[in-house]
Amino acid sequence: MTAAQQRKTFDIFARVKRGDQLTHIGTVEAENEELAKVYASYTYDEEDWAEMVVVDRSELVWVRKPKWLFA
Amino acid sequence: MESMQPSVHSLVELLETIADNKYVLGDRLVEVGVSGPNLEATLAAIAMAQGELGHARLLYNWCFDLRGVKGKKPEIYGQSGKALASAVNVHNWITLIAALYTVNTAIDAVLQSALQANHPAVVSKIQKLVREQQDHIVYAKNWAQQLIHDQGAVPHRFRQALNAAANEAAAWLKDVEDKKELQQEGYLPNGVQLVERLQQELKAVAAEPFVQLK
Repeated sequence: MTAAQQRKTFDIFARVKRGDQLTHIGTVEAENEELAKVYASYTYDEEDWAEMVVVDRSELVWVRKPKWLFA
Repeated sequence: MESMQPSVHSLVELLETIADNKYVLGDRLVEVGVSGPNLEATLAAIAMAQGELGHARLLYNWCFDLRGVKGKKPEIYGQSGKALASAVNVHNWITLIAALYTVNTAIDAVLQSALQANHPAVVSKIQKLVREQQDHIVYAKNWAQQLIHDQGAVPHRFRQALNAAANEAAAWLKDVEDKKELQQEGYLPNGVQLVERLQQELKAVAAEPFVQLK
């Protein structure tokens, strides 16, 4: 499928209650933001999250980035 | 069983048609969705199946209440025969997405119109269902857009499946539009344009008109 070549990794952050830390809870691979949101809400439904966001990993702006150990 | 007014009878028939379609889609999402093209799509399909079956149960139970069934609600062992053929005949990913998209979009057209009509007996029952259904439509719409821009025979086969499902859904919506008692009782707004609404929504997938009612 052509779409499979266009899949991107989205990082998912969520907090259980207001005031909690926004925590990285996992990732999904999706073709676009709309599907990433749907996949995230169905895949990570173990909590009744107060807040959940998906971030395209390529959009992250690194302040410090470690060198990978075996790169 | 109590005798029903024609408007309530039509409402029960409408709700049962929606419930049947959701029951069948829930079943097909498990049967076919479990072999989805990737892990995320598969997990979402199984989760949505639970959602569709939950919506079906809610609507069947509402129909029992409208029919005056007292006490414990009967178990549901199958649809009542009103589900659209395009949902019943889902057998692969292409027909699943075509049916999920068109049937849920058609159901959404009916339920959004019912919310507009603002009948107190209806609004409180369907608000949550309509909200939950949006994710199912977003999922199906995005997969429809992918299939229509895929390679090889996939786009052609998907167009065929979508056209068949859209025509069948439009015929059902036309039938609902023609039931004037639903509008007279305030379950749907006067002069409701359900087919037009479906056509507009389907343009999100392809520009050409899919629905050509005879």
